[in-house]
Amino acid sequence: MDFISEYYFDFGLMGDNLGPVLEGFWLTIKLSVLSGALALAWGLVLAVLRQLPGTPLAPVRWLTIAYIDAFRGIPLLLVLFLVSGFLSAAQAEDVIPRAIGLPEWLGQTSPFWYGVIALTLTYGAYMAEVYRAGIEAVPRGQTEAARSLGMSHGQAMRFVIVPQAVRTVIPPLLNDFIALMKDTSLVSVIGALEVVQVGFDVQTSEFNGSALVLGALLFLLVTIPLARLVDVLIARQQARSGRGGAAPGGGQPESTSGPAAGPAGGPAATGGLGRA
Amino acid sequence: MSAEAHSDGAAANGPMLKLVDVHKRFGQLEVLRGVDLEIDRGEVVCVIGPSGSGKSTLLRCINLLEPPESGQIFLEGTEITGGGAKQGVNFVRRRVGMVFQQFNLFPHKSAVENICIAQEKVLGRDRAEAREKAERLLARVGLADKVGEYPDRLSGGQQQRVAIARALAMDPHAILFDEVTSALDPELVGEVLDTMRELAEEGMTMIVVTHEMGFARDVGRRVAFMDGGVVVECGPSAEVLGNPQQARTKRFLGQVLEH
Repeated sequence: MDFISEYYFDFGLMGDNLGPVLEGFWLTIKLSVLSGALALAWGLVLAVLRQLPGTPLAPVRWLTIAYIDAFRGIPLLLVLFLVSGFLSAAQAEDVIPRAIGLPEWLGQTSPFWYGVIALTLTYGAYMAEVYRAGIEAVPRGQTEAARSLGMSHGQAMRFVIVPQAVRTVIPPLLNDFIALMKDTSLVSVIGALEVVQVGFDVQTSEFNGSALVLGALLFLLVTIPLARLVDVLIARQQARSGRGGAAPGGGQPESTSGPAAGPAGGPAATGGLGRA
Repeated sequence: MSAEAHSDGAAANGPMLKLVDVHKRFGQLEVLRGVDLEIDRGEVVCVIGPSGSGKSTLLRCINLLEPPESGQIFLEGTEITGGGAKQGVNFVRRRVGMVFQQFNLFPHKSAVENICIAQEKVLGRDRAEAREKAERLLARVGLADKVGEYPDRLSGGQQQRVAIARALAMDPHAILFDEVTSALDPELVGEVLDTMRELAEEGMTMIVVTHEMGFARDVGRRVAFMDGGVVVECGPSAEVLGNPQQARTKRFLGQVLEH
């Protein structure tokens, strides 16, 4: 019993390593926020490309679907290796400039940027599917009303469909963000000194997991409030859609399960307004 | 108030809208089997018929929400079907408004924003101009006090009147009404029909798919009875409703008017 508490909850050791652990967590936060923001944007681009109308644009849709399928279907770790390996090799062979192959922008290391790229590529694909569910859940009549007023497909998407879709998918997007945040720990394997790596280094040298537990607590400090926020948003949506109004109940059950949780479920049930 | 919409002289003499042998199918189902119809400027034509007869599809073909498979549609003398499909779409959508059974207001926008958005993005009106027009139209449909209200705070009848104002804001030459009172509670039907009646009196060209026989009789200049994807009978409202010539029309009216 003593051993267990000492192994996981050695507060002295936590105190000694507080600085490095916090520093590592700060890197985790930076990785998460930057990758999360980029994935949100990239995912929306993919979702919109996937919805482009007409026969001439079919190849764009197919390519987009192929991209989404591919990146949802391969492990992030693998993407991470492929991205970092390719970029560093390509700059070594002078195929691409060094500043791109070994990016050290904004004072961050190359592994940080490799991580941002891999997380954005992968989570963009997840989030594209979430957006798509939201877009498809907007009743068809909305598009028809917009088009009947003379709006183009693009205008209808931009001013009518996407704003409604985004509102309904904020909770599942937040869930994906939580998953992304936890997946930033994978970037440690290519050399980023984020919180898990810092804790692991301490464990290796001290034969004690307390620094890792400290890291876990820091994660929970962020992810639990986010999970509660998701709950609140879902409850609010359900209250609103109770009147047969705008918001389809786009909520997933609160879930902070691993990266393999994949995209949010299928299209959220519509408010039943769509006409046959 | 909307008279300026009718000022462009093109094809002022010919029919406003002319449909020639329009066909539409959904997979195996042939919904329109050759519809011919002419509608004059300022005319109100009510389209009646049993459900599944193709009334709504007809309206949706007219503004190319559902492009017809074959046949021709002429709007103010210009063919909107056939080649140059995209031009046809733009041509008709700039001139013909539509009001839907389910209102289809944009739920994330207030009443006035619903009316402004297309004015600004499609017609390029500036914000103040669009807003002024929107407020004027809301007052006209009796909703001056609901300017900033969101659709989910409005009754069905109020939402539908906002939808009518939204269509009017684009200065349409004609408006299509697709069973616009069918989703309303009975006590709210009157306010929407009154708004439409006023529009008709002001000379708006209207094609009204409806189950409101009273409205068809009083406001419609002509009534077209559709069944099985064709116009079975079309003529002055009083004649078609009062003294139908076709057996199918008689049977339908018999069923409808019994209640």
